[in-house]
Amino acid sequence: MIRFVEPRDLQEACAVLADDEWGNKVISGGTALVLMMRQGLIAPSTLVNIGRLQGMDGISRDDARITIGARATHRAIATSPEVMQWIPALADACGRVGNVRVRNVGTLGGNLAEADYAADPPTVLVGLDAVCHVTGPHGARDLPVADLATGFYSTSLGPGEIITAVSVPIGEDRVSAYEKFVSRSSEDRPCVGVFATARYDGSSIEQLRVVVGAAVAVPRLCDDITGSVAGDALDDATIRNMAAAISDAIDPIEDARGSAWYRRKVTAVLVRRAVEGVSR
Amino acid sequence: MTTTVDRLPDVLGLSIPMPDAEERVVGTLRYTVDHSVEGMVHGRLVRSPYPHARIVDVDVSGALALDGVVRVLTGTDLERAVEIPNPYFGLTRRDQAPLAMGRARYVGDPVALVIAETPQSARDGAEAVMVDYDELPYVIDPMEALAAGAPQLHEEWLGNECGEWRLHRGDVDLAMSQASHVFEATYTSPMANAVPFEPHVAIAAWEDDFLEVWTATQWPSAVRGELAHMFDTDPGNVQIRVFPLGGGYGAKSQLKIEPMVAVAAKMVGRPVRLELERDEVFLTTGKHPAVMDIRTGVDEEGRFVAREIDLVYNGGAYAVMTPKAVAQGLLRSIGPYRFPNIRIRSRGVYTNTVPSGSFRGAMTNQAAFAYESHADEIAEGLGIDPFDLRERNLLQEGDVFASGQVMHDIHFQELLHDVAAVIGWGDETTPSPGKAVGKGIAVIVKTTPPGTRSEVRVEMRSDGDVLVHTNSVDMGQGVLGTLAQLTAHHLGVDIGKVRVQDPDSSTFDSMTAGSRTTFVADHAIGEACESIRRQMAELADPDDHPGPHTAVDYQEILLGAGITSLIGEGAYQSTPSDALNNPLDIKGEVADHWHQGAVAVEVAVDVETGKVEILRCHGAAWAGRVVNPVRARQQSEGSIIFGLGPALFEEVIVADGQVTNPNLSDYMIPSIVDVPIELTSSSLESPDRDAAIHGVGEMTIPAVAPAIANAISRATGARVRQMPMTAERVLRAIVGEPE
Amino acid sequence: MSESLTLEVNGEEIVVEVPADEALVNTLRDRLGLRSVRPTCGLGICGTCTVQLDGAVASSCLLLTVQVEGRSIRTSEGLTNDGGLSRVQQAFVDNGAYQCAYCIPGMVVTVEACLAESPDASMEEVREYLAGNLCRCGTYVSILESVTELVRGDR
Repeated sequence: MIRFVEPRDLQEACAVLADDEWGNKVISGGTALVLMMRQGLIAPSTLVNIGRLQGMDGISRDDARITIGARATHRAIATSPEVMQWIPALADACGRVGNVRVRNVGTLGGNLAEADYAADPPTVLVGLDAVCHVTGPHGARDLPVADLATGFYSTSLGPGEIITAVSVPIGEDRVSAYEKFVSRSSEDRPCVGVFATARYDGSSIEQLRVVVGAAVAVPRLCDDITGSVAGDALDDATIRNMAAAISDAIDPIEDARGSAWYRRKVTAVLVRRAVEGVSR
Repeated sequence: MTTTVDRLPDVLGLSIPMPDAEERVVGTLRYTVDHSVEGMVHGRLVRSPYPHARIVDVDVSGALALDGVVRVLTGTDLERAVEIPNPYFGLTRRDQAPLAMGRARYVGDPVALVIAETPQSARDGAEAVMVDYDELPYVIDPMEALAAGAPQLHEEWLGNECGEWRLHRGDVDLAMSQASHVFEATYTSPMANAVPFEPHVAIAAWEDDFLEVWTATQWPSAVRGELAHMFDTDPGNVQIRVFPLGGGYGAKSQLKIEPMVAVAAKMVGRPVRLELERDEVFLTTGKHPAVMDIRTGVDEEGRFVAREIDLVYNGGAYAVMTPKAVAQGLLRSIGPYRFPNIRIRSRGVYTNTVPSGSFRGAMTNQAAFAYESHADEIAEGLGIDPFDLRERNLLQEGDVFASGQVMHDIHFQELLHDVAAVIGWGDETTPSPGKAVGKGIAVIVKTTPPGTRSEVRVEMRSDGDVLVHTNSVDMGQGVLGTLAQLTAHHLGVDIGKVRVQDPDSSTFDSMTAGSRTTFVADHAIGEACESIRRQMAELADPDDHPGPHTAVDYQEILLGAGITSLIGEGAYQSTPSDALNNPLDIKGEVADHWHQGAVAVEVAVDVETGKVEILRCHGAAWAGRVVNPVRARQQSEGSIIFGLGPALFEEVIVADGQVTNPNLSDYMIPSIVDVPIELTSSSLESPDRDAAIHGVGEMTIPAVAPAIANAISRATGARVRQMPMTAERVLRAIVGEPE
Repeated sequence: MSESLTLEVNGEEIVVEVPADEALVNTLRDRLGLRSVRPTCGLGICGTCTVQLDGAVASSCLLLTVQVEGRSIRTSEGLTNDGGLSRVQQAFVDNGAYQCAYCIPGMVVTVEACLAESPDASMEEVREYLAGNLCRCGTYVSILESVTELVRGDR
């Protein structure tokens, strides 16, 4: 019979998790976890409830960063005045995760730890140089969100490690846009998600970054293609070439939402629209 | 039949709420899934993971060793059971057994049934059953299944034949050779799932030789008949009890899990309950996949002079209704047009996939997608307005249908004009920045097969209550409420006193499907009420109650005569026809009455992604007389929304014989956001107060997909001939990149 | 092993004993007889199992009962007004916003939550809020009409 334990603090939670990497699982909002249990994809023997641990669901800001507790729900993030003001693309992405019920219960930490390719927030977080704050049995460490997901439903988290917060740098002159494309019903999971962000120096782009998500197994940061772009407002030809290059560079997934051919096509379109969206 | 008494306001045409409206909204209404029977045990099916395989051995020992597992049944048990003289069931061919005997014929075919004290132990038991299979070659594509050398699914039906029907009129070859232009195309539709929210669920209980089955079915009389045959008993010994359904849409027609629970209950000696999980519903039934080749010869003015159609329907592993359904498919492939020369062949085929069954808009959706898309392709080819092309060819009163039947009570022109006017055909399209906008139209007809029967018993009580006994099933169309309105109308009583009973096998109804219920029930109820009025007249003392009698009179008459209840029986039996007596030469009266609908739509297409947005949509159905306006509207609008799914994104995807998307995340149905802000409907009525009442339950569905296909074509120049018209398919059509 | 928990359901404190992996939808339905809550998709997509959890809508098929100890749960049965219908429920009845009605209690619970948060919600906001409540019968138009009446304060 499955056990449900409520550790008093984070250290205890990590210890229980580390004890049995496959059998003991964290439950936060639980939307993904309960789903996977129901589908027989996982069969944990112990559920470690971090749902009542203090201090993991707040959203705070200092001059340099916004820090979002891992247990903050998508809804809380989408409606947070701080997030809406300083990282509106993240508020937008979180506001479009699933449906209102999933957003009320599902947490950002849970979303990141699940590493489902058809997700929105990771694409944005990778593009914003977000950092994952992790606590484990051997202490705390930080890692870029970009290094978190390693493949389908797998992450680089070690045994007993729990994401405690995600922080995002702020304070730069930045314009960001997240384009989400669903190919079937409005409630479909994303077929392709593209995040673009431009850091400006006056009217000139200092850094342009594009991340492709949902079409690929893990969010694909495209610095190799966009890295050389800088300077004055991008012209149409540059944007189109960039979009085509990114479309060629990705390794798209084939599923009920679209073939690889289709995802390439749509990626090119979304990259163009997202980049146009951040051009001044 | 239509003598009404005018003391009470006539309720026909009023939007009276369903009698159980409050329970429905609060959620206290009981569905079959909510029912339980004392002492019942729970079933869980073990299903074949292979599309075609010999069942070599079923090892149930592991399951039996588990706590709570009572019994595990296999096909072998059924074969040997003396209690089950006729294990095979089916409404056209008895080719299906509750558990596969010897051979599994599709992925999902039930092979064993675990019966246990709790649903969880039944599930655990099912996982512990070990089946040894010998895989056999399998076939999924119907054309391959028809070809020589294909794996045979059923020994008795060579070539995987599952029905073949033909119709011909005039001289097609000659007319084609003389036509100014000939157009030809092929249109395809995949399997779709009706997705009733309440799953298939049934409980069977035996008491000596008497069988009682509670089941979520649209067709209690069919279930009763087949179960009686299965156990070689009189249908009077079988009672089918139906609660309001949590959705049906055809998925709960014919027989599904009733044979399993009846057999299990018999073998185990306790009531057995079986409720399917969502993925199992996908593996139980679906809409026939179809391929329709259509060739049309036209004259210079765009008049149809000849048409040739070849239809192939994928029936899946078992016949269910396919051999007969493909005849209806043939008739419904003709469309609402005049064809002096026409030749049609319609075939059903066995393949190793999920058995096809009824589906809202049955056998019409696939064909209408083809013929109404084709009409626009013809119009385009000739440079004629699609509206004008249709006007020129639509059947009118007195015209002859392709089978030779003279058409009456048809209103296609009115429907075409109604939807064209609402969508502003010929006006500017709605500005939609960055997108290509277009409008599309479609008009459809659906036959109601002759020879159906509906019985009703109306019981008038001395306390003033009127009970109505029918076998009609409520699946959200509010039929029980509608029947109450009809009864109140015909008898002239207060509708608050009319109680329509849940179906209980004491009366016969061919089925609750095909949008026929209101039409036939009106006749049957009218007859039953006429009988009551006649009996009242005989009982009444003409001095006390001179007549015409009112509700008050009825009560007094009964009390005066010392009678507590008076029964009137009525039936509607539509004239059987011999048109289908010769499958290779259909000729004659093929429809009892004609269901008619039209849809017009305006779409905006993102030509870079192929994504289609429905800006506006209007559907019209011919109602004749509307019994309940709100409900008629619900049915029409609900039909359109139901049609959007298969038109744009619903598709049961099969790979290597497996259904790969048997859940609501990978198979998506329309949400509220997918519905155009402007969605409207008309239920067209006759000025004649005694006009026939037509069902509107599915009239607009078949027109949705072709109207959208036509709109996409007018917007972008791209023609999609395959359903669903997903964004990817639209984009491929736009850029010319085949799949 | 079962856990003994106290839940607040429709305003009442209830003690249940449930295994740790029991979903809230099953506890509500099978142990507490609240049949308005229905499992249909098992994935949190269809909305027929919607409950209010401390006023916020949640899929009870994706919540373990053990997770919600001490929290307030409300179903459609608990939204009635002293045994009579709530404003929202009455609006649905009056507008014929039901067909087979399997999805309707979930819609009711969601509309109540939406209007509690946003009494002046626009039609666009309401549609987005209801996007995760599916209706196969296609009753959406009548449902929106009911909500329009409620927002306008017609009742």
